[in-house]
Amino acid sequence: MDNRTVIQEGHLLAVFNSVHRVMKAEDLLKKLGLQVLLIPAPRVLSTDCGLALRFCNDENNGIMQALSREQLQPVFVCRCIKAGIFETVWKSEENNIP
Amino acid sequence: MNTIDCRNLACPAPVIEVKKALESQGEICVLLDDGAPRENVTRFAGNRGFMVQEEQDGDGWLLTITAGNSASVNSNQAFKPVGVVLLITSDCLGNGPDELGGLLMKNMIHSLLEAGDIPQKMIFMNSGVRLTTEGSDVIEALNKLSGMGVEVLSCGLCLDFFGIKDKLMSGKTTNMLTTVETFFSGEMVIRL
Repeated sequence: MDNRTVIQEGHLLAVFNSVHRVMKAEDLLKKLGLQVLLIPAPRVLSTDCGLALRFCNDENNGIMQALSREQLQPVFVCRCIKAGIFETVWKSEENNIP
Repeated sequence: MNTIDCRNLACPAPVIEVKKALESQGEICVLLDDGAPRENVTRFAGNRGFMVQEEQDGDGWLLTITAGNSASVNSNQAFKPVGVVLLITSDCLGNGPDELGGLLMKNMIHSLLEAGDIPQKMIFMNSGVRLTTEGSDVIEALNKLSGMGVEVLSCGLCLDFFGIKDKLMSGKTTNMLTTVETFFSGEMVIRL
C-alpha cells in the first residue's frame, strides 16, 4: 500500500477535463448513494487541471450507468494496477467530450 | 553500480523506479530526461539523505545516487515535515463561489500528499473545522498526512460553535493559546 496517495491498487478513476462536468457527476452519484471521492487526477494521467472521481470496482456498473443516463461520461476510466501505474479500462468514443 | 534507464517515462514513474532500485540495490546510476523527472528524482533522493551527483548525458542527465549517512528509502521517515504551518480558516479556498472554493480546498489537501514536502502542522479554524469532521471528503487524506507526521489540529471553540465536537475524525483539538504560540515559534505560517 502506498501511504502517500488516496489511490490504492484496484481503485478506478474516472477522469474528466471539465470542472463543471465532474462537479455535476459527483453531485449526481452522491445523491444516488454511490461512494465516490473527487480528487486531482494523478500527474501521470493528466497534464492539465484534470479531476477524477475515485471509486471501487463494486460501484463500477452503477456509476457508469448513472453517468451514461445523464450524459456525464468522463474522458476515460482507468484502474490502478500498482502505485503510479494505471491501465485504461474504458474510453469515451466521443472526441468532443470536454 | 547498476544503471537504470528512466528516459521517456512520465512522472511519477521515474521516482517510483528509482525508489524500487534504491530499495534493492542501495546505490544506483539513473538516466533521466531533463526537467521534472530530473528535479523530482533529485528531490526524492535528497529528501531521503542520499547524495546525488549530476552529469549531462546528451539531451538528458546521468544521476549517480549514493548513500549518505542518513540515507533511507522508507517513505514515512523520508518525508519529514518542514517548518511550515498551514492555517486553514475556511472550508473554501479563496474568494468566490463556495462550490468552487470547496473543490479547490479538497484538491489542495489531496495534492499535499503528492508534494515533495509536507507541513509541520495544519490548524483548522472557523468553518475550516468542517474539513476534519464527519462528512468531510478529505478525512482519508488528512489521516494519511497525519500518519506521515503532520500535526492535524482543530480549534475546539470552533467545533463547539458548530456543535460538532463529537464528530472529529482526524487529528486533535487545540486552543487559541497553542495556536498563537505557534505563530511565534519560528515556523512559517501560511493562511489559507
